[in-house]
Amino acid sequence: MEMDGASSSASGGAAQAILLTSRKPRVFYRFTQQNLPACRPALTPTLIITIFLLTGVVFLPVGLVCLRASESVEELVLRYDTECIPENYRSNKVAYIKDVSISKKCKLNIKLRNYMKAPVYVYYELDNYYQNHRRYIKSRSDKQLLHGLQQKDISSCKPMESSNGLPIVPCGLISWSLFNDTFAFDVKGGKVNVNRTNISWKSDRAHKFSKNVYPFNFQNDSLIGGGKLDPSIPLSEHEDLIVWMRVSALPKFRKLYGVIEEDLDAGKLLTVHLANNYNTYSSGGKKKLVLTTSNWLGSKNNFLGLSYIATGGCSILLAILFALIHVKFPRPHYDTSHLQWNKRGGAR
Amino acid sequence: MISILSTTPISPVHPITNVVPLSLVLLVSLIKEAFEDWKRLQNDMSINNTPVDVLQDQNWESVPWKKLQVGDIVKVKQDALFPSDLVFLASTNPDGVCYIETSNLDGETNLKIRKALERTWDYVLPEKASEFKGEIQCEQPNNSLYTFTGNLIIDKQTLPLSPNQLLLRGCSLRNTEYIVGAIIFTGHETKVMMNSMNVPSKRSTLERKLDKLILALFGGLFFMCVVGAIGSGIFINSKYFYLGLSGHVEDQFNPRNRFVVAILTMFTLITLYSTIIPISLYVSIEMIKFIQCAQFINKDLHMYHTESNTPALARTSNLNEELGQVEYIFSDKTGTLTRNLMEFFKCSIGGKMFGTGITEIERGIAQRNGMQVNETPSTTVVKEKGFNFDDPRLMRGAWRNESDPEIFKEFFRCLAVCHTVLPEGDGSSDKITYQAASPDEAALVTAAKNFGFFFYRRTPTSIMVREANTEKMGSVQDVTYEILNVLEFNSTRKRQSVVCRCPNGRLVLYCKGADTVIYERLAGGNSDIKKITREHLEQFGSSGLRTLCLAYKELSSELYEKWNEKFIQAKSSLRDREKRLDEVAELIENDLVLIGCTAIEDKLQEGVPMCIETLSRAGIKIWVLTGDKMETAINIAYACNLINNAMKQFIISSETDPIREAEDRGDPVEIARVIKDSVKQELDRYLEEAQELLRSPYGPKLSLIIDGKCLMYALDLTLRVSLLKLSLNCSSVVCCRVSPLQKAQVTSLVKKGARKITLSIGDGANDVSMIQAAHVGVGISGLEGMQAVMASDFAIAQFRFLTELLLVHGRWSYLRLCKVITYFFYKNLTFTLTQFWFTFHTGFSGQRYYDDWFQSLYNVIFTALPVIIVGLFDKDVSASISKRYPELYKAGIRNTFFTWKVVAIWAFFSIYQSLIIYYFTTASSRNAHNSSGKIFGLWDVSTMSFTCIVLTVNIRLLMSCNSLTRWHHISVWGSIFAWFLFIFVYSGIMTPRDRQENEYFVIYVLMSTFYFYFSLLLIPIVSLMGDFLYQGIQRLIFPYDYQIVQEIHRHDPEETRRQMLEIGHNLTPDEAASFAVARLPRETSKHTGFAFDSPGFESFFASQAGVFAPHKPWDVVRRASAKSKHRTSKS
Repeated sequence: MEMDGASSSASGGAAQAILLTSRKPRVFYRFTQQNLPACRPALTPTLIITIFLLTGVVFLPVGLVCLRASESVEELVLRYDTECIPENYRSNKVAYIKDVSISKKCKLNIKLRNYMKAPVYVYYELDNYYQNHRRYIKSRSDKQLLHGLQQKDISSCKPMESSNGLPIVPCGLISWSLFNDTFAFDVKGGKVNVNRTNISWKSDRAHKFSKNVYPFNFQNDSLIGGGKLDPSIPLSEHEDLIVWMRVSALPKFRKLYGVIEEDLDAGKLLTVHLANNYNTYSSGGKKKLVLTTSNWLGSKNNFLGLSYIATGGCSILLAILFALIHVKFPRPHYDTSHLQWNKRGGAR
Repeated sequence: MISILSTTPISPVHPITNVVPLSLVLLVSLIKEAFEDWKRLQNDMSINNTPVDVLQDQNWESVPWKKLQVGDIVKVKQDALFPSDLVFLASTNPDGVCYIETSNLDGETNLKIRKALERTWDYVLPEKASEFKGEIQCEQPNNSLYTFTGNLIIDKQTLPLSPNQLLLRGCSLRNTEYIVGAIIFTGHETKVMMNSMNVPSKRSTLERKLDKLILALFGGLFFMCVVGAIGSGIFINSKYFYLGLSGHVEDQFNPRNRFVVAILTMFTLITLYSTIIPISLYVSIEMIKFIQCAQFINKDLHMYHTESNTPALARTSNLNEELGQVEYIFSDKTGTLTRNLMEFFKCSIGGKMFGTGITEIERGIAQRNGMQVNETPSTTVVKEKGFNFDDPRLMRGAWRNESDPEIFKEFFRCLAVCHTVLPEGDGSSDKITYQAASPDEAALVTAAKNFGFFFYRRTPTSIMVREANTEKMGSVQDVTYEILNVLEFNSTRKRQSVVCRCPNGRLVLYCKGADTVIYERLAGGNSDIKKITREHLEQFGSSGLRTLCLAYKELSSELYEKWNEKFIQAKSSLRDREKRLDEVAELIENDLVLIGCTAIEDKLQEGVPMCIETLSRAGIKIWVLTGDKMETAINIAYACNLINNAMKQFIISSETDPIREAEDRGDPVEIARVIKDSVKQELDRYLEEAQELLRSPYGPKLSLIIDGKCLMYALDLTLRVSLLKLSLNCSSVVCCRVSPLQKAQVTSLVKKGARKITLSIGDGANDVSMIQAAHVGVGISGLEGMQAVMASDFAIAQFRFLTELLLVHGRWSYLRLCKVITYFFYKNLTFTLTQFWFTFHTGFSGQRYYDDWFQSLYNVIFTALPVIIVGLFDKDVSASISKRYPELYKAGIRNTFFTWKVVAIWAFFSIYQSLIIYYFTTASSRNAHNSSGKIFGLWDVSTMSFTCIVLTVNIRLLMSCNSLTRWHHISVWGSIFAWFLFIFVYSGIMTPRDRQENEYFVIYVLMSTFYFYFSLLLIPIVSLMGDFLYQGIQRLIFPYDYQIVQEIHRHDPEETRRQMLEIGHNLTPDEAASFAVARLPRETSKHTGFAFDSPGFESFFASQAGVFAPHKPWDVVRRASAKSKHRTSKS
């Protein structure tokens, strides 16, 4: 490379004269000669250590913030699927749930350990419930939800597209299997209101479920999967249905039931009046009731904070490890003895 | 197939998901094919429509080639190509001869003579020719170029036809106004076409490896599907009432027949996981390679030859990366390593050495020893084709001042008289051109001219020489030498003599020949000159020059008369004439007086020794396959630095006494047996020796030299293995006197036997088969013959450009392609695996995790461009450093960057990343993610995942780049941007068609949460941390060679290559213009597709017994090349 410096300035003149005349050919020239300006990042140990340190330094505080946010959330979980079955039916839960004649009313008490600041969100949580099964997920018609009976082609709703020769609105397995347990709360005799509106995403309510479509011929078959809908209320106001139809990603999921818009004081006994209608027994799933507060990061979610902290911690550890390796077994950059052809002795 | 499956109801995805990428792939390859076909058609058309004159009703009518039929009488004009195989009937030359050039067939530029039968000489004019009625009986079309038998029946008279009357397609007519011939074979029946092989379509080894990878991916796909299918069979159960499984259920979900469920789910999953097969990989690779060829290789100024205005040309775009893995180079000699240009370079006269030039090999040695070679071209130097000599002691008559001017006179006279050259043009010294059988001879005569002995005219009996400075300085006189006898050259004699009578009546025999034969015949005494000359000969030899000894002998008239009688007798003898002539010549060629010797440089192409040294440092082994004689071949091998004295040479030659004896006895079966035995013996012996030498740590390097005859037997199935073993142990191999077919055989021996990547380079038609047989064929372009180029995959103007082609372009292509392939593998695997993990959570139903459009655009838009950019721009080290450290190339030979280990590492990180991405996004999916308490659905989560994948995969690419141009950034960030743009639009609209509006508003929902941003920071970084850690450790502890070199040159200025370029090429505006012109579409050559098969030595057609063929000098003298001096100098 001894020829680079001096001679280029002298001899490059003529060439550069034509090459630099306009920018475009020059760029193209550098492209064809594969000589585009480039930076050449090389993972030097210093760079690696810096990056790891940087990651650690950024991630640890972020993780702490997230974890703190998550810890500040109060969460109460109440599993009720076995509790709410009378002792004599415990051995045959399916028969119990399928027997229409038996009252499904159930009353449970929860001790509020901590103060819960409004809004307190009420979720139901199902487990081992495959809302994401392909057969299930397919079985809906978004067009029908918008246009109601005008939408004739509802073949996608199979096997729940019609009953008694008439189309079902809303059709499909998803709506057919609508969750229909109900919850009501009181504290020391005082009723606690649960606000059941605005529990679905606004975009769903406004654009996917029409104001002008009313349930029709719904749950009129011999087989009843779940909740019924009031045919006088348009779909867009059936927020239960809207929430239910935003299918979950995993077989264990929560769905918003309502919002308690008053603070719940610590130490009080919260009574839950629930109607245990929904059949999760035949498929062997759990049902839980969840009461939780929320903050800017959502409900209780240690995962994010912990992963941040873990990643940050690991990064710093690795940075130290690399520094140690680098100090202990340095490989100087100018050391050519690591070159394969030098190792094997001789340029054969 | 997957596309078809996807249209069936069992598919989880919309058909469009698979159809879009597939049709794109098909479309691109269709366009490419069509384009290539169209080019081929054009080429064919231009050949087929070349006009030629055909005899019709006593007139010559111009007719395109394609309309010619067997039996037509055609007229071929000077310099035209023969349109088909012709029987030569008549020519405008007296004696019914014509001259043809066969360089298209065998690469020899000297003219060959064809002679028509005497009976047909008259049919020159159309009136006469139309009277020609005859019948030609001949053999069936075959591919032997050197044999032909047939009969011409005119007027019930049967005349035998021989190859001497045959004009082959592909040759061209020279020095003859026109000839008339009858067509006997046309089109595909012509001998050249019969020789052309079907051009094998070449695929690169990397691509074949890639096929294996794809196969493995199919295996993986199958495995995943089977797992999923079994799972689905087990899962499905009517207890999941909400799936509506009671009553009538279609087969795929019918819990009463789990087996069918499993089978059908399997197909579902195949379509679902089909993304694991990177369909767009092939298109991307083709695009990358195409641009690499069209823009990089073809336009590289380093490979642009200014003198011949020839840029490099990549004729196929399939083999770029193959160039980065070549381990064996098979090179032709003439025209490839050498210029086929003989230059008078040095001489030794009367014991004094003259000539100041420095040969390439000397320069190379000097450079290796660190000496600066300063050449100041003197202003007086006379530059002419064939003459590259400067010495003030000789030029312009200065030789008269030497102590013994007479011997100089004899030297020059010998050069001017003793030859068989024909002068062409008028008598002025500028315009004359010498027609010689070999360039050596022309060089010698040209030298004589420049020394003031200008040979300007030849008559059958005399040679006229314009002699300057003979009497006194400045005088010029024309002298006529009467040529009494010419004792011709042949390969046994290795010398040539002329008996001439000087104007003053003096009878002299001038002789020139190989040193061994001349020294045997010298008169006694004067041992000083002999000794010094021998030293000079050795010196010339070791600097790679071809030497000839010059001698003379004064004859007394009585002695001459006596001898001449015998000579005439021998000449007119009917039996064994050749042999008897040789015997007679022996009688007079003795007691010679040594004048001196000449040294001719068989001029190497520019930079050949340097190039060869660089290539061998790069771990490439170079074999020379040549039709030349062993001595010449060895000579050139020395000159090219392929062989040196430190090497152990194994020579397997058929020129041994037992073989010669057997040949004399003439029994072909016995000859075969003898040769085979001796070859076997030698192979075994050498092999043993070679293994012994290799075992010793500091043993010499080995070289093998084998000639064509022995090679024929060595290539025999029984001996093949030991030949291969031996030759693979040798660092250089020279095969001489090999036919084109053998060249191809040797190539495929290494290709198939050793499974190494081979490259053949050659310039002539005799190299075509070898070029086609090798993995990569390289043709030398810029010369007249185009056969090699037409058959080649890459064409370059000079051998030395191989350095650039292999070490820079090849290496980069290889690295880039490996990166592209492994990256494609990785990104599709990562993507598909997240899908796979999801399957476990969906009851193995085959529910897709992502939206259809995500899946189909993933490969086409969101991750397509960056990888192509990497395939184009990634550079580990700059071009100049690549050439400075040729050893870097070894990584390609070892295929370091595309082994199963590399793939496994990628696969490992792919699994790691997919797990991170999948579980991190789904882990907290059941929680609310903002203060409104609302919950994400499946599509929110999957969009989250997909965003993470697009980010991760694109950034991962940046991490694997060695150099980042702004295009990298534009494409990577552009792709990520494209994803966001897409999802913003896609989730913002509802389509009128009946489909699920799953994605509606999803991204806006996501973006309304802090969680989204926190995840987006966390997940890609966690995913990439593994790779980062691996890269760091790998680099720190197990660095690749290129990484070390990168580090060494880390702080070099980036501009290195450009500066070098400007120094190297310094394009003046003129040159730039000419380069631009060279880029214009060029008229394609007319002669294409000839392949050919030639013994490659001796004359083109053997003269047949019974047919008188004057044994003209121009078949011969090129064999008068020097005997190699190296063996003597070694001892």
